[in-house]
Amino acid sequence: MRFLSYGLLVAAGLLPKRVEASHPGEKDRPTPFVFAQIKYRGGDWNPHPLAVIPLMEELMQRTSVESAASRHEVNLMDLDLFSYPFLYMAGKYDFDPFTQEEIEILRRFLSYGGFLLADDALGQPGYGFDRSLSRELKRLFPEKELRRLPTGHAALRSYYLLRRIGGMRIVHPYLEGISVGSATPVIYCHNDLGGAWERDQLGNWLNPCTPGGEEQRRDAFHLGINLILYAMTENYKEDLIHVPFIRRRLSR
Amino acid sequence: MKDLFFVGALPWWFILLIALGALALLIHQFLAFRQRLSPRQSWLLISLRGFVYALMLFFLLSPGLVEKRVTRLRRPLTVILDSSQSMGFPASSNQSRDGRPGQSRLDLAKEKLLEGKEPLMQKLAQNYDLRLYQFNTRLEALGPASLRQLAAQGKGTRLIEALKEAGRDGGAQAGIILFSDGIANGENRSMNESISFPVPIFAVGVGETQGYTDLRIADLSAPEFAFRGRELKIDLTVQAYGLAGKTVPLHFNRGRNLVSSRNLTIDRDPFEQRLTLSYTPKEIGPHSFTLSIPAQAGELITQNNQREFKVEVQRDKIRVLTLSGSPSWNYRFLRMALKQDPLIDLVSFVFLRTPTDSVDVPDSQLSLIPFPIDEIFLEELKNFDLIFFDDFSYRSYFNVLYLEKVRDFVRAGGGLAMLGGIRSFDSGGYAETPLREVLPVELDGKGNFSTGSALRGVLTASGKTHPITRLVPDLRANEEAWKKIPPLTSLNRVLRTKGEALLQAAPDGASAGPPLLTVGKFGKGRTLALLSDDFWRWNFVAVGEKESPQNHLKLIRQAVRWLAQEPSFEQVQITSITGSKTPGEKMDFKVRVVKDDFTPASHATVRLRVIGPEGEQIPIGDAPETEEGQYSAEFTPTREGPYRLEAEAHLADKLLGRDRKNFTAAFPFGELEDGRARPDFLQRIADASHGEFIPISEWNEKSLERVTEKLERFAPSQVEERRQIPLWNSLWIFTLLLLLLGSEWWMRRKWGLV
Repeated sequence: MRFLSYGLLVAAGLLPKRVEASHPGEKDRPTPFVFAQIKYRGGDWNPHPLAVIPLMEELMQRTSVESAASRHEVNLMDLDLFSYPFLYMAGKYDFDPFTQEEIEILRRFLSYGGFLLADDALGQPGYGFDRSLSRELKRLFPEKELRRLPTGHAALRSYYLLRRIGGMRIVHPYLEGISVGSATPVIYCHNDLGGAWERDQLGNWLNPCTPGGEEQRRDAFHLGINLILYAMTENYKEDLIHVPFIRRRLSR
Repeated sequence: MKDLFFVGALPWWFILLIALGALALLIHQFLAFRQRLSPRQSWLLISLRGFVYALMLFFLLSPGLVEKRVTRLRRPLTVILDSSQSMGFPASSNQSRDGRPGQSRLDLAKEKLLEGKEPLMQKLAQNYDLRLYQFNTRLEALGPASLRQLAAQGKGTRLIEALKEAGRDGGAQAGIILFSDGIANGENRSMNESISFPVPIFAVGVGETQGYTDLRIADLSAPEFAFRGRELKIDLTVQAYGLAGKTVPLHFNRGRNLVSSRNLTIDRDPFEQRLTLSYTPKEIGPHSFTLSIPAQAGELITQNNQREFKVEVQRDKIRVLTLSGSPSWNYRFLRMALKQDPLIDLVSFVFLRTPTDSVDVPDSQLSLIPFPIDEIFLEELKNFDLIFFDDFSYRSYFNVLYLEKVRDFVRAGGGLAMLGGIRSFDSGGYAETPLREVLPVELDGKGNFSTGSALRGVLTASGKTHPITRLVPDLRANEEAWKKIPPLTSLNRVLRTKGEALLQAAPDGASAGPPLLTVGKFGKGRTLALLSDDFWRWNFVAVGEKESPQNHLKLIRQAVRWLAQEPSFEQVQITSITGSKTPGEKMDFKVRVVKDDFTPASHATVRLRVIGPEGEQIPIGDAPETEEGQYSAEFTPTREGPYRLEAEAHLADKLLGRDRKNFTAAFPFGELEDGRARPDFLQRIADASHGEFIPISEWNEKSLERVTEKLERFAPSQVEERRQIPLWNSLWIFTLLLLLLGSEWWMRRKWGLV
């Protein structure tokens, strides 16, 4: 039945377009956005191996961003880390502390324009991934704390006007982040976004979203898109030219 | 004549005590004489002795004689006449019988000095050593014979300065008699406590304040520079004399276009009103303004009814418009560079969604705003300094005709930068648009966009010195800096470069390749093509390599300034206009010219011309080169007013650029700005010097007597010489004393007392 559905979609031309990763020497293909995921030691860096492809498909279908279909896995010590200004870090369990060199590199990454989306797949504040991440963020920015992002934050308006925070489960109805100047280079979601995005190759969602069901999943995709666009446009939506339009729409 | 006087060195009680002692001694001696001599003899002896005592007491008082001798002197007296232009105005509002203006102020003063039965000059010359001066901007001695020919032609009135100089030069003077209308426009234009005069000044005021008719724009205060889009304020004062009850219009023009007009009701005499006008310039460049009030009947001076001034309007910020075809890291780091620059005002549009993208929510749940095509291209474009096409293709969003507006914008002086990507250059379909002729690269519709290969930016010969790619001042260090910049992975290939290539895209190890960064000029504007969409790597990947992101930021900032034609990035710059800027006096212009690669341009043809106050063109000709890339010329303005200097440089028949600067030539005094006589100022001068102010209409015999009396009090013409002769050391007195004592001794001996 799934194969049939897939075939019908292709025939109707409604299948979301897919873009393969670029190859050297390729011509007349856009430079894609690459979703890079941090591999770290200990814990589980990869709780949802199939989460990124659906998100990239959604990104391609809904926005003008061209992206590589699959994620790029990266270690903090990789030489090409800075070729991927958007980093995703997910996990369920406690992980090993970063080395001091890794901390220095990540701090430099985030201070000069890079972006980190952290996603807690366990959904237990104070335990597992959340505990380890909080420890590492404290090492990264000793003077700063994770703070709840206001509802008017540019990340929640970068494409969709978000009023809800989606995910596989709703642990917090808000995002947290660390701001440096006018930018927020670290955004942390407790709701397991990857779980909501994850789908098998036949198009079946692998994890149910509770309690909001498919609407909650849709919110998770919207949030994923917004965060990618926020990383690439920063506070563009706070430019004066956008403010009256956004206010008008939010007031409806 | 001699008078007796006493110095009185001893206190009076001491002398009185001695006198009483001497009297007691005399009485005692008299009684002693009476026992042995007859009364006549006793009296004779005691008289002689009493005379001696009296003489000695007299000497105790230190007596002397004062000899007085009176000498009559001819003291120097200075007469100064004001010969400035304002003294040529009529002395009175009364017209002559034929209806022409009456006698001038200077002629009236000359009449007082030279005419009549006994002219004042003659009278004064009898009693004083008369010195005659004229003054305007300088003090000059005047021969009596030249007085009749003296004309009111001085360009200014350095009144206070002239009086001080005359007071110093005359030595011991009786005083100064000044004939002036009281207008002072030298360094000191008002009296204050620090101004003093060594001799009394008798100020004879020439010119009436009553009946004087004038309307003037005074105290004009306008900024030399203003910013586009920001209101500029012009402060001025309108003064009116003898025009009470009238209503006059004040016109404010920019060039020939009326900016505003307002009526002023002159409700008192004298009338003065401070006004503030405003104007918001919408264009950059020199703006000429005029303030004017129509001339009124009876006005002596009409040229002060109008004031001209020029304001150089500059941009306060460089206004940059970016159109990005999609969110991208290029946009992210371009935005970072532009936002961090305080000189840049950024308006950006990022096309987050293409027409083929489908969304799963109503538009009301999207933050997208419609791109205001007409507003941007038909109305607002002129208010930007440059526009970035960042991986943006017009094809999905608007008609190609809008790009004609962009072409016109660049032709008129705007800047255009096209950044690479799948939607740019040939890949964006620009070969078939009006931008084909604008861009600094040749498009043929066959160019493509490729990704994947690592390409380094290699400086061309021009790129080594060009201000955009000059990341560090030292040439060698600059080349080293470029070698460290990370490679790019995408490139738009075009047919060839049309402008000037600054960077070539070369694979590792190669020294040349297709153009990567090219600049050019179109009309009055400038263009730039950066043929890659991932030069953000020059920032963030450099950071990953522990290099500074500054090279990327600097490149963008310098490109923006070059495209926006910031003065420091101009090839032709008027660097200085020096000199007094006074009509009739020479001024120097200096112009710096650099070649396209920003090295000094030798042997360039630098043409200068000056636009005069009436818009007349005054060619100066070709400026000679004084040192490498430096050219200079001289110019002498002939009259007052605002001028504009324009410079244009060519090298081998190629235009390098133009520059222009405003300057104003004016006499420093403004003699004809306000011709109203100032008796109050003359009064203050007279009071400060303990002299007297006398209106010329009140000058008569009595006032002359008063002046003479005051001069006599201050410096009398009779000098009394006094000589003191002490008496006590006189030989005659000593002889008399000896004679008296000797006679007394001889009598006593004769009468048997010794």
